[in-house]
Amino acid sequence: MLYEFRYRAPKTASEMIRLLDDHRDDGKILAGGTDLLPNIRDGNIRPAVVIDAKKIQSADSIAWSASEGLVMGNAVTINDVLRCREARELFPVLCDCARQLASHQIRNRATVAGNVVNASPCADMAPALLCLDAFAVLESASGTRQVPFSEFFTGVKHTVLKAGEFLEKIIIPASAAGARGYYLKLKRIAGHDLGIIGVLMVRRNNGIRFGVSSAAPTPVLVDGMLDKDGVDAAIVKVLAAIKPIDDIRASGEYRAFMASTYIRRLWQEIK
Amino acid sequence: MMKIKVTVNGLEYERDVAEHRTLLHFIRDDLGLSGTKEGCGMGECGACTVFLNGKVVNACLVLAAEADGASIETIEGQAGSFGLSDIQKAFEKNHAVQCGFCTPGMVMSVKELLRHNGKPTPEAIKEAIEGNFCRCTGYTQIIEAVLDLTGQGDLKGELKHV
Repeated sequence: MLYEFRYRAPKTASEMIRLLDDHRDDGKILAGGTDLLPNIRDGNIRPAVVIDAKKIQSADSIAWSASEGLVMGNAVTINDVLRCREARELFPVLCDCARQLASHQIRNRATVAGNVVNASPCADMAPALLCLDAFAVLESASGTRQVPFSEFFTGVKHTVLKAGEFLEKIIIPASAAGARGYYLKLKRIAGHDLGIIGVLMVRRNNGIRFGVSSAAPTPVLVDGMLDKDGVDAAIVKVLAAIKPIDDIRASGEYRAFMASTYIRRLWQEIK
Repeated sequence: MMKIKVTVNGLEYERDVAEHRTLLHFIRDDLGLSGTKEGCGMGECGACTVFLNGKVVNACLVLAAEADGASIETIEGQAGSFGLSDIQKAFEKNHAVQCGFCTPGMVMSVKELLRHNGKPTPEAIKEAIEGNFCRCTGYTQIIEAVLDLTGQGDLKGELKHV
């Protein structure tokens, strides 16, 4: 890499907070690196210091308990999720989104935390975290706060994270265990590609909700639907909530059309 | 600069590296192991695929500094004193190599697949190598090589050559 920066790898959360505080303007957190490093290489981001979050003790831990739910440290990779038996058995929806994220090599490196902090509209983990009522635990010098993902994203590449703050872990509450659903992701090719549109439909208890990616400035959650409302009403509700744009991958019109096509397919499939 | 210690193909190295150096450039330029290729440098093409602590990664998306203390495996570590590895032999036999640029990365991805799945379906093979681009073979010969290696040579006829 031609652009030079310094590398720091704190071992504890407090060391991390101190470093972030010292480098509020010129520091950047490194998780899996699958977005950050290409962006540095391209000159889009020019941090003086890259702060590796992966060496913090137990940052790579993924653990299930009936009291806390599924707790994922900020260094947990997409494939760590897929290798976790409880994640596969209790949160199949999370795993379905994980399987469709990029390529195997990227999934070995990319983290769930990085996927949401990066806050791309096409973040594949976001629809699952939204539909499963997950929340982020944020740490900073002024303490800890919890933010549900329904309030986490504020715009394209923007989140509620403040300077000096970092995402320490992601928690999916135990009450979401057993939710069923599928994620349909439209891509230009069958293999590794960013999504044109992604629709996750989830059934929990008697309610139906949708998580939609690549369709608005942020990933979108549409909830509060019931079987008796019917699929046409669901399509109207989702289309009213998204704002798909024209870009290099597809037109907004096509995105909206495919969103409704996917909703129709999912509605039939997930009984 | 910082000092890092890594094990590559079973050999220990201790080197000073620039903090912004990628693992790929460290492997190729500092250690002189040029079997690992640089294609896109963005994690798209998979030519730089290596094992990092037992899992395949794109070496262009890892900093050498991050790999301090890690164990790394590259294409140079595959052939033993008795010749090519089984995966390499299967690639050779099934014409899965043309220009060869993608081959080191392909071999790594296939190795990771076979560690977890002794009889992968053509679909599973495609999924395992979706992060490895090949611009010569059309992939079919690579998939056939894996089928052949895993005793599923009878499935080869079902694949379309493009």
